[in-house]
Amino acid sequence: MKGAYLGELEELILLTVGVLYQQAYGVAIQEEIENQVGRKLNISAVHAVLKRLEEKGFITSSMGGATEERGGRRKRLFTLTSLGKKALEEANEMRTQLYNQIPRIALQFHSY
Amino acid sequence: MKTPPRWADRFLEWYCNPDLLEEIQGDAHELHKKRVRVHGMFLADLLFAWDVIRFLRWSNIKRNKRNSTSNSMIMLKSYLTVGFRNAIRHRLNSSINILGLSLALGVAITSFVFIDNQLHTDFFNERLDRIYQVTNRIETDNRIDDWSDTPALLGPSLAKDLSAVEASTRIEYSNASIRYNETVFSEFIWFADPDFMNIFSYPVLQGNPHALKNKNQIIMASELAEKYFGTSDPIGQALSVKFNDDLKEEFTVGAVIERPNGSSLYPTIIFAMEKFEDLRPKDANSWSYQVDGTFILLKPSHSPSELVEALDSYKKIQNEASPQWLVEDFQCYPLKGLALKSSDIISAVSQGAHPAGLISLGVVSGLLLLLASFNYMNVSIATVATRLKEIGIRKVIGGQKKEIIQQFLIENFLLCAISMAVGCLLSYLFFLPGFNSLYPVDIPFIFSSGNVVFLFFGGLLVFIGFVSGAYPALYIASFTPIHIMRGREKFGQKSLLSRVLLTFQFVLAFMTIVGSFVFIDNSLYLKNKDWGYNHDQIIAIPVGEKEKFLALRDKLNGNQQIANLSGSVNHIGRANTRASFIYKEQKHETVDYRVGFDYLETMNIRLKEGRFFDRNIQSDADESIIINEAFAKKLGWDNPIGQYFEFDSLKRYVVGVVHDFHYEGFYNALGPVLFRIAPEDDFKYLAVLIKSNHLNETEKEIKSAWADIAPDDPYEGFIQDEVFADFNNDNNANVKLLGFISGTTVVLASLGLFGLVSFNITRRMKEFSIRKVFGANLSHVFKLMNRDYVWILLIAFLVGAPLGFYLINTLIQNIYPDPQAARPVPFFIAVSIMLLTVAFTVSTQLSRVKKENPAATLRND
Repeated sequence: MKGAYLGELEELILLTVGVLYQQAYGVAIQEEIENQVGRKLNISAVHAVLKRLEEKGFITSSMGGATEERGGRRKRLFTLTSLGKKALEEANEMRTQLYNQIPRIALQFHSY
Repeated sequence: MKTPPRWADRFLEWYCNPDLLEEIQGDAHELHKKRVRVHGMFLADLLFAWDVIRFLRWSNIKRNKRNSTSNSMIMLKSYLTVGFRNAIRHRLNSSINILGLSLALGVAITSFVFIDNQLHTDFFNERLDRIYQVTNRIETDNRIDDWSDTPALLGPSLAKDLSAVEASTRIEYSNASIRYNETVFSEFIWFADPDFMNIFSYPVLQGNPHALKNKNQIIMASELAEKYFGTSDPIGQALSVKFNDDLKEEFTVGAVIERPNGSSLYPTIIFAMEKFEDLRPKDANSWSYQVDGTFILLKPSHSPSELVEALDSYKKIQNEASPQWLVEDFQCYPLKGLALKSSDIISAVSQGAHPAGLISLGVVSGLLLLLASFNYMNVSIATVATRLKEIGIRKVIGGQKKEIIQQFLIENFLLCAISMAVGCLLSYLFFLPGFNSLYPVDIPFIFSSGNVVFLFFGGLLVFIGFVSGAYPALYIASFTPIHIMRGREKFGQKSLLSRVLLTFQFVLAFMTIVGSFVFIDNSLYLKNKDWGYNHDQIIAIPVGEKEKFLALRDKLNGNQQIANLSGSVNHIGRANTRASFIYKEQKHETVDYRVGFDYLETMNIRLKEGRFFDRNIQSDADESIIINEAFAKKLGWDNPIGQYFEFDSLKRYVVGVVHDFHYEGFYNALGPVLFRIAPEDDFKYLAVLIKSNHLNETEKEIKSAWADIAPDDPYEGFIQDEVFADFNNDNNANVKLLGFISGTTVVLASLGLFGLVSFNITRRMKEFSIRKVFGANLSHVFKLMNRDYVWILLIAFLVGAPLGFYLINTLIQNIYPDPQAARPVPFFIAVSIMLLTVAFTVSTQLSRVKKENPAATLRND
């Protein structure tokens, strides 16, 4: 297993997998990110990151859900593992912790 | 349907790991469909292609090795198991295949070993690329030939005058009687310059490689050292050597060399060239005396073309020195490949096979390989019916065409590999030793390098594997399972290709067997052909010098068993000296025999007209000449008796004409021959005609008489029959080799036929059983069986037999100037052997039909 460090894109996609719960596969993830974050990703990049996440043990996958528009081909559906969930929580926690340490004043610059 | 561009999709399918293809392709297609709605067809297609390109990553390309190999390993195991079981089940066909292929491969491997050996002659020399032989080019009879003989001073001058020449050596042949303690041998000896050992890399087993610098030392080949000294140390041993001119000297052995396998030169005992200069100072230091060979070693990065100018200046010197032997120019031949040129260089010092022989050997082996491969193809196609169900099931449960092809090719390669191993054994144990015993060669079963082994055997396996296996595999793999399962297919029954192949096989078989038999017939004819004189009761003894001749003659003169005896300078069949003379301003060549008065009577030469020499006629001693028919014909004399011409600066009158006789084997046409009387002082041979039935005891008496007269010289007498021993050995070897090749071809063709017939009978056993039940007799079945094969044989016979006959006849006409007119007898023998073989092959199979109980066959259903 490669280190538990989560890259920025990895974290984003891991989150999306969580969001899409049981309906997470390549195209869906790509669309979700585009809709919610407004970030355009190439599908091959999504695949590459998913593969990396699976190797790290944050997600597992199974085949299923063939549709007509895919020409009868099945999707690879991803779900979060407990390790993945823990990694998300840790990342989130670290962020919150850091965020909370920012002095109040610093956050009020826009009111000038 | 709006589908993404096919080419991009295909590209994706091609590069993508099959395990990942489904999800990737699915996503790509899904995206494409959505984009068509949003962006339109064109852009969507473009984006699809872009996606495909973006997916082109190593992680998507690389195959999960562990999985796929384990699968194909399992399949391989299955292929091998099934193949092995099949081979066992069809024992007969498998052994036919393996036997046929091994035979052909054995022959091919043997020829390859021989050819490889010949092509790498002299490769043991470290400086091979820099060694050259200098030859003389001389015009005789309107032809320019390369002569190995070159002026004695050429070699030393080259080394002295030219900076490009590092070293040179001359090679001069001679004979000597060599004595060690009580044993005396007559030896063929060499003189060479000390640089001989620097130019060539003969391994020195013992002693000093520079031994020739001392003119009283000699270098011996290891075989000879063993002959003289046995196991004791040869270095420093003293030998007493008597040269031709009766000069006796002591020499010590300075070094012993090994003659490596694949040396075109054949040194025996090498004396220092300095000794030759002592013995014959006039010859050794002249431009008019020719030594037997001259070799030079060039300095690195020099080429012989640099020598042209210098050689041109030597040409002038030589032509002034010997105006009767005019040189056109000198030529340099690299030692690399010299062996194969030996037959083009007159009196060459190097020895090697004629390239034509190597080529024909290669062609014959190639044909045999093809024949054996065709056998395999035929039998495989024929036996495919027994495996139809297997192929069908394999296909139904997902076997791809590719995999079926793979399966059959693997089986085939396995079989070929087994055959190759058997072929190697055959070659090692039988063919190569057989070849070595037939011809005066000693080729070991080795290859020139590891690469050669790898390339040859690898190439051979691939060639045989594909030639014999590709068509059956493709053919088998193309069956449709549904047809197989329904039982409608009748494969392997009447394939046009297998008939064509069988026909071709038999054409070749007819060609070789007819050709071989015609050749063999001619060889046997030549073996028993009249030589033009009765040679079986004649013994000839080389006597060396006058005293010994006289002593031996006097001793034998009183012998009751001896009918006649005479001395001579030259001897028919052994020493045929050529001479030329001018008649009516035209140059003619003749064989010139200088003989004693009773020589022609002793040799049983047959007089045609005129008379033999007569002691009592004064002029016979120098003016009279006896010629043969060819001589008279060449000079256009209808009435030769009394004709005269100038020869050897005397006017000669023809007093007798003898019938033509053979004096040097049967490869050369009979040329003009003349006999003249020589003084007793010059005699070198004593010919003895023995009364019938006393040959062996008289030979013993002559031997003991010789031992008394010349204890220092070995007895070298020979029965006249032996003078053509080389020719006869050659002839016998040819007969055996051709017999073997034609035998192999016939065996191969019969094996093919046997396989086909036996298979066809198995397949039609039910039909024959039913016919038998209904009262068909054996001849009826025989007719049914053979209808196919009779046609094939007939066509093969009509094409093959005349072709073989024609080809071999052309060859014979080329080799022998005077062959016998081709007779129909060998032709008929060859054809009947073929027909008998075929009949035997078919009838062994037919007896199966006869023995088979119809009930047993039919009960199965």
